[in-house]
Amino acid sequence: MLFSQLIQKLIQDTTEKSLPLFSVELCLCVTIVLMLLVRLLGADRLLPACVVAVIGAASALACSWMQYRELYGAPEPVSTTFFTGMLIHDSFTVYFRAFLSLFLLLTVALTSLTGIPDEEDSPDFYSLLFGATIGMMMMASSNSLLMLFLSVEMASVPSYAMVGFLKGRKASSEAALKYVVYGAGAAGVMLYGISLLAGVLGTADMGMLSERLAAAAAGGSGGLGDPEIRTASLGILLIMVGLAFKLSLVPFHFWCPDAFEGASAEVAGFLSIASKAGAFGLLVRLCVALSGAEGTGPLMTAFGCGLGFVACLTMTLGNLAAYGQTNLKRMLAYSTIAHAGYMVMAVSAMLVMSSSAAGAASAAEVTRSMEGLLYYLFVYMFMNLGAFAVIALVRNYTFGETLDDVRGLISQSPTLCVVMLICMFSLVGLPPFGGFIGKFFIFASTLKSAETEPFMYVVLVCGGLNTVFSLFYYIRVLRVMFLEARPADARPVPLPFASWESAFTLTLAAFVLLLGVAPYVMSTTANTAAQSLAFFN
Amino acid sequence: MSLDAYLLVGAVLFVCGVICMATKRNGIGVLMGVELVLNGANINFVAFSKYTQLGLDGQIFSLFVIVLAAAEAAVALAIALNFYNNHLTIDVDRASKLKG
Repeated sequence: MLFSQLIQKLIQDTTEKSLPLFSVELCLCVTIVLMLLVRLLGADRLLPACVVAVIGAASALACSWMQYRELYGAPEPVSTTFFTGMLIHDSFTVYFRAFLSLFLLLTVALTSLTGIPDEEDSPDFYSLLFGATIGMMMMASSNSLLMLFLSVEMASVPSYAMVGFLKGRKASSEAALKYVVYGAGAAGVMLYGISLLAGVLGTADMGMLSERLAAAAAGGSGGLGDPEIRTASLGILLIMVGLAFKLSLVPFHFWCPDAFEGASAEVAGFLSIASKAGAFGLLVRLCVALSGAEGTGPLMTAFGCGLGFVACLTMTLGNLAAYGQTNLKRMLAYSTIAHAGYMVMAVSAMLVMSSSAAGAASAAEVTRSMEGLLYYLFVYMFMNLGAFAVIALVRNYTFGETLDDVRGLISQSPTLCVVMLICMFSLVGLPPFGGFIGKFFIFASTLKSAETEPFMYVVLVCGGLNTVFSLFYYIRVLRVMFLEARPADARPVPLPFASWESAFTLTLAAFVLLLGVAPYVMSTTANTAAQSLAFFN
Repeated sequence: MSLDAYLLVGAVLFVCGVICMATKRNGIGVLMGVELVLNGANINFVAFSKYTQLGLDGQIFSLFVIVLAAAEAAVALAIALNFYNNHLTIDVDRASKLKG
């Protein structure tokens, strides 16, 4: 083939196939350029950056809604690779695109209500926010080890800058430095792992990983005594270090409380939800890519059990450390760590079931574990953003984010207290709130996986005990808010009921309640998204 | 030269980088450790692309990593400069206000 023909074919493939599938990310890219252009042309008095940002996020949501309509009507799960096999487009990808666009819209709404960033800085801030979101969308759709690394970096680098966005504050600069140093280190270790895995299996395409791994296992003894398998396992382990850092799993969690405490509550909320969601998308993609082939069953079961063990440690440490905190953002950071543990339970259950001997678990059961994860993420978006929004709104009146700032808040701002109550009960996992349904799905699939691998019973019991532990520190916040008297010297929080702030937080709380009483629509959607993953091949 | 020789150099660079990240108290020193780790991985990629069926993908990988390392260093140095402006030091042990 001539070189010109090759170029011609590439251009045709890009413009006709890849770019339409990439429309959601393109919307966000165009928004970034527009925001910066508007300021450059001096039109930011007429057209504030937050308006452009809201329009951009809404159009991204509309684009992902159209892709959703297209894919979810299909009788069979469709999956297409595009950009020469770098990215994959299926209902799992579209689920994450819609999720992240919706969350971006909510975050932009929250930041414009709370006034962080100020008008001067808002184009910079929103550019970072949108850039990080594009990275997270690509995390959930990556189909190559190169994209795995690039998307993680694309999500991380703007996040470092956002944590340090309050430039003059000592705490903020310290948080950013810690985050960037640990983050860069974890990314470097992950890259080394990628180099080992890609080199020993001879491919960077994630669609081929499992068959190459099976071929390597068939050539030797198949266990860890085989040098190829040993190197590949080391590579997987080092990649997991990078992902565990993004998910703040123990023992790579220590950046999370510091970064959250130093950053503003809005940024902390963004990191605790969007960055976790993207990392879970990537973790699931990687696990599905590695598992499912004949001959690698024992290795992948061990990998799944390892994840389960990490989940136990993460939940326990997160919940125990949250107990003594007086800074609310720090407490929610530990709660974020614990919730990452619950969600990893679903991934470990998926790995154990999909790599067990054929016939032990049907594809429907494996799909259900992923449905649990996706449902939990969706509920988690509303309940966690609600909690961070309350903290941000209280901060605007009292200039503090500790327990003392919310003491006796019920006498001054009952709306915020009720929203906090709903979010926290949902975070514990009490019925009838959405968190209960999410936890129920995840625990049910872990129980199912315990039939093939008894170790999963330990993980399940650990998850159950942790749910009980977590009750105490969430209840402590609620007791301080509802039952104690407001100190005389505390700054008042006169937030009226008829205001945009109240409406915003009440909407979030309403969604948490709705997802608890009417789970059908969302769970069907999550199930369809999970079906597009090829668990067995 | 066999593949192992290149991988050995990569591994040595990786270990040096990790030790540098773990022991340096100067923020810039830690970032230099990160660069060593990234370059260790780069040597692996280029060596694998010559000796295994990874092929040109390995070269592309290392090109992207070089560009990304520069971008990451730019952000990291800006954050380090901001830390220096606030604390008048770049010693990571002095970043101890946030804990618990």
